Amino acid sequence: MIIVREITKSFGKVRAVRGVSLELPAGQIAGLLGPNGAGKTTAIRIITGYLPADKGHVAIAGYDTGREAMQARRQIGYLPESAPMYPEMTARGYLEHRGRLYGMDRARRKKAVGEVLERCRVGELASRRIGALSKGYRQRVGLAAALLHDPPVLILDEPTNGLDPSQIREARSLIRELANERTMLLCSHILPEIERTCDRVIIMAGGRVCADGTPEELTGGGGAPRRYTIEVRSNPSAGAGYSIGRLRGVAGVGAIEAAGEQPSDASGGWTRLLVEGEPGAGDLREALAGAAADAGLFVRELRGERDTLEDVFVRTVEADGAAGGAA
Amino acid sequence: MRGVWAIATREVGSLLRLPVGWVVIALFAFLSAVLFVNGTLAPGQPATMRYFFSSASWLMLAIAPAVSMRLVSEELRSGTVEPLRTAPISDAAVVWGKYLGAVAFLALMLAPTLVLPVVLWGVSDPRPDPGPVFAGYLSLMLVGMLYLSVGLLASSLTSSQTLAFLGALMFLVLMMVLTGVVSQAQATPGWLARALAALSVQARARDMAKGVIDTGAVVFFLAGSGWFVLLATAALGSRRWR
Repeated sequence: MIIVREITKSFGKVRAVRGVSLELPAGQIAGLLGPNGAGKTTAIRIITGYLPADKGHVAIAGYDTGREAMQARRQIGYLPESAPMYPEMTARGYLEHRGRLYGMDRARRKKAVGEVLERCRVGELASRRIGALSKGYRQRVGLAAALLHDPPVLILDEPTNGLDPSQIREARSLIRELANERTMLLCSHILPEIERTCDRVIIMAGGRVCADGTPEELTGGGGAPRRYTIEVRSNPSAGAGYSIGRLRGVAGVGAIEAAGEQPSDASGGWTRLLVEGEPGAGDLREALAGAAADAGLFVRELRGERDTLEDVFVRTVEADGAAGGAA
Repeated sequence: MRGVWAIATREVGSLLRLPVGWVVIALFAFLSAVLFVNGTLAPGQPATMRYFFSSASWLMLAIAPAVSMRLVSEELRSGTVEPLRTAPISDAAVVWGKYLGAVAFLALMLAPTLVLPVVLWGVSDPRPDPGPVFAGYLSLMLVGMLYLSVGLLASSLTSSQTLAFLGALMFLVLMMVLTGVVSQAQATPGWLARALAALSVQARARDMAKGVIDTGAVVFFLAGSGWFVLLATAALGSRRWR
């Protein structure tokens, strides 16, 4: 549905986007992540046809955004960052205006405006001036405008920026609802949001795509945890070193460190250890519990933790920063 | 064409929803009434509105840039240009729509002054000749259209309304000085003086205020306006590359 081939864009000496390629099949919801200045917004502006790429092509539903710009634009519903709209117009008036820009006749416009107002739950505030609406409502009107011509592709840039937590939750459920039968590219800083909403995550840094996959793939599969916390009781005189030594013997265990204090009389000998699993080692919980029992250590907590998207994000972006610094 | 109409109607609607639109309409109505009372509505004066028309075309110098300053600048500043330029309409349609909206607003602004010739008709004994009144309004409209197109160009070059206003005003004043003062100066070589005089808006407006409708003058104003609208389209288009 969206095909992006090797797009590049520079502003003066700043190379904002350097050779980005993407392909989104119909019906996919992809989240575009990246630190500020990673080139997300520029990439989105190129995909929507607002900016031309210096090099490369974008096709939306088979229409090239350069040569068949008008057809391509009809396929896209676009909510730019911070939903810019005319503050002096009413929400309904603005939607009517958008309908006219898309060449809808009066009857179709009326029907479409009514539908999107209801769908985005703007309803009762439709005749207020946009400038008088709260940020959450403004965002909804922006979303309604993007949906008005029923486009097969939706591109949303920071749709939940500046909303309060309950509005974010509402926006998220709305977005998921809209995702049915649509191809969606969603740009956000808010990682849990992407993790919960998207089928696919694309991480950009320094103008390039540096990771691309399903949230499960990126966070190391649905299977094994990557880190374990284990709390054991040992003889205070032996210190944490004893427990660490015994657990290190378990196959697949990487680094182990004691979190916080050494075991002491005051703590009753309890100490908390953080265990890193080696990649591909599988679930080590059973093995760790077994090793602890064999060594005569009592266990009162054993927990496996998976990577969150945040961990992956930070790791990827830092790795890219290091590579970029070296290059 | 459809897009042009949608943009033009939105533009007029917005000007009427904003204080700036009403301030401009009120200011123009007030000043034109003052001009009319002072210059025309005096005992013993001939029943013509010549004085009103030639002074009102001076008022256009400041009024037209005030109407046109927000046309594109405001879109650039607030970011509404982004949804606008990702809608399926061309840059030319956007710019022409905005221009025609501004021209329609100009017509709305001139409408209340139509009461002035009616008053003149009522109070003067040899009735005024309707021909020059018609020609006078045509000249005001044409001068306003040209000034609006200059203002539109200024507006599409910057995201600051103030800068758009001042830029258009300065350009118009500069052109007036060049065509009105420099072209008359002794030191100006003859060919340059003739070229500058040929570009004079004021001379044409003066002629039309007398009731002379010259096709050449009408073409001058319309072609000039079209030229500046094209430049504005190019200016907006070039933003894509920056």
